[in-house]
Amino acid sequence: MSETHATLVELAQKLYAGDAPGVLALCKRALGEGLAAREVLDAGLLAGMEVVGRDFKAGELFLPEIIVAARAMHAGIEELRPLLAEAASGAAAPRTAVLGTVKGDLHDIGKKLVGIMLEGAGFRVLDLGHDVAPERFVEAVRVERPQLVGLSALLSTTMPMMRTTIAELERAGLAAGTTILVGGAPVTAAWAKEIGAHGFAPDAVSAVERARELLAARGA
Amino acid sequence: MIRAARSRHASLLSADELAALHAAGLRILERVGLELSLAPARLDALCDLGLRREGSRLRFPSALVEEACARAPRGYRLCGQEPALDLDLGGERCYLGLDGSATEILDLDSGAPRPSTRADLAAALRIADGLPQIALTWPCVSAGDAPPAQQPLHELEALLTLSRKHAQAMTVVAPEHARAAVAMAALVAGGREALRARPILSSFQCSTSPLAYEGSALEAALVFAEAGVPCGFWSMTIGGGTAPVTVAGNAALVHAEVLAGITILQLLCPGAPTFYGTSATMMELRRGGVCCGGPEDLWLASAGAELAHRAHVPAAIGTFASGAKASGWQAGVENALSGAASLLAGAELWPGAGLLASARIFSLEQLLLDAELFDYLRAFAEGPGVDEERLALEAIEAVGPRGHFLGEAHTLRHMRSVWQPRLLDRTPWDDWLAAGRPEAADRARDEVRRLLAAPAPDPPRFAAELHALVEEEARRLQP
Ligand code: B1M
Repeated sequence: MSETHATLVELAQKLYAGDAPGVLALCKRALGEGLAAREVLDAGLLAGMEVVGRDFKAGELFLPEIIVAARAMHAGIEELRPLLAEAASGAAAPRTAVLGTVKGDLHDIGKKLVGIMLEGAGFRVLDLGHDVAPERFVEAVRVERPQLVGLSALLSTTMPMMRTTIAELERAGLAAGTTILVGGAPVTAAWAKEIGAHGFAPDAVSAVERARELLAARGA
Repeated sequence: MIRAARSRHASLLSADELAALHAAGLRILERVGLELSLAPARLDALCDLGLRREGSRLRFPSALVEEACARAPRGYRLCGQEPALDLDLGGERCYLGLDGSATEILDLDSGAPRPSTRADLAAALRIADGLPQIALTWPCVSAGDAPPAQQPLHELEALLTLSRKHAQAMTVVAPEHARAAVAMAALVAGGREALRARPILSSFQCSTSPLAYEGSALEAALVFAEAGVPCGFWSMTIGGGTAPVTVAGNAALVHAEVLAGITILQLLCPGAPTFYGTSATMMELRRGGVCCGGPEDLWLASAGAELAHRAHVPAAIGTFASGAKASGWQAGVENALSGAASLLAGAELWPGAGLLASARIFSLEQLLLDAELFDYLRAFAEGPGVDEERLALEAIEAVGPRGHFLGEAHTLRHMRSVWQPRLLDRTPWDDWLAAGRPEAADRARDEVRRLLAAPAPDPPRFAAELHALVEEEARRLQP
């Protein structure tokens, strides 16, 4: 294994610390030093995020620390994005996620968490907020053509609204072209299957893993 | 028929700490304010009454808050369908209620959670009605098999018909549902004036933390208040998520949110009976989700009750509702300490009994265990009773050294007031082994089965009429 460039080692450390301005500055410095965007991404940002993920799973890092790391990651990726696209690297094309808590439901902190984690994983996230009517999901999907649609619900009275929303997306001919992920405290994998969602995740961390798996399986 | 606990007030917060929390709440109200998604006319009316508006953000001058809160009654009655079931919120008593509103119930046979139905709610209410420790009802599980828009009404119908205890409509959060709920309660009470005179129903509305109320929730509160139905305001902050991660910051935010609701109510309906509700907790920092249990929660409960009393209104404090997934050691520890905190803070209303998994799953076994725990705390709160008779000096003298107290008249006089458990195990070791080493939850399950096997009571005289009203109201609402 070749020695990692000192700037990238420092970049990974800044990312771990959730220092967004530091990450941004180091991305710029690394590019200035002639490193390829892809290398900065892989050996700097993603390498840092891997340690974050490992320590989080081990219970050493807390969620707010993951969130600031995810934000810093997002800042770094935005800086690299134009160059990555130039390099025509497939994975670099921004993947979009449209998120929202369904109509009639005000619970949104869990969904916000999911959004931040997705941003940290490189998604461009459009958060429609809470109490989002099916028409608004349809409109957003029509305009944004996202790879991922995330629906959240926490109430027994609004879980059926997930079904309605998916049905509306199907009716508009938009469901087949995207991947629909659902979640929220009372939501289960069985419910996701029953209402025609493509996947379910029990928490914000697994939401990112699940989204990645589902998109990889579709080749998206 | 209702067993309340004596409030054993022993402030855990210092006077300075309380004053600082109260001042912080007022400062948040005055400087940051709240976002209220009310219709412009309502916002204008509130500004005419002294609030300051900038778009949909309303700021609350401190003097106005203090003045408005002073209009709220400190104590009043929450009535049952018969006077013997009335609750006195004057500050001397602590009452346990059912908790709510879980979306799942632990199946009695399989022990696995499954979505709840009206039949589950009915079973829970039948049991709760017979438990003297349960003083008021909530829809402890949602009527998940009813069409979504009608669930709150079906839940209230169950509360009103399956128990004569005071009902608190915790899932009625929109004005159209509130109007239907008032009509239903009036039918049961014998008319709107009878309902006003003896409110057999109360309600509350939640803030959307941080620092917002939905317009529909506030309008629902006003519908209730205008009908004379007590309406509280409730904050369910999550420290680290929807509130600061520190207990003090969280409690100050709760204080601001609840006082905002009470202020609005008192400005528009002066003197309306209200209460201060909170079930503030912490975010689980490793995976997200809510803790519902932990030392921070104990302080949040204490601060909530003390701040409510400082504002001269009764306190409803989320009590029990452990984060544990099963009725074992964790639920026992968390709920016992949670009950102790509410008892020492003198919280009048404790919702309540029966929830597990951070208020998501209801368990009939846990309902019985929580009722027993409350009874334990109630007996503790009675105090040791240090008086001539109970000091037992005569008996001690009569027995003397190396004697025994077994057959003493003093023992016989007082032994029946020694608290007796129904579910805690005090059997001899061999009996316990022979019974298959049952846990408290196993004994509770047997007891649930026994209670549910008893014939169901006859429906009350108003049942058919109430059901017809629910059907009529349900038709009016979108499915
Ligand atoms: C796209 O893919 C994905 C993938 C994963 C996804 C995902 C999407 N979305 C979430 N996830 C997952 O990842 C997240 C992070 O790991 C997780 O998100 P969570 O949201 O689960 O976790 C959050 C980080 C923390 N958890 C939460 O924020 C929810 C906690 C509980 C206590 C809760 C809260 C806080 C609130 N509430 Co409400 N509330 C309850 C909740 C009980 C519970 N234990 O869930 C529940 C859901 N509420 C309930 C009730 C009754 C109500 N609530 C209401 C209101 C509120 C507040 C506004 C006060 C507040 C929300 C504030 C806010 N800004 O979000 C009312 C309804 C309002 C409405 N129309 O929505 C009201 C009716 C109460 C009232 N009287 O006002 C109950 C359900 C009743 C039912 N019939 O379904 C309830 C179970 C509590 C209870 N026992 O009563 C995962 O689920």
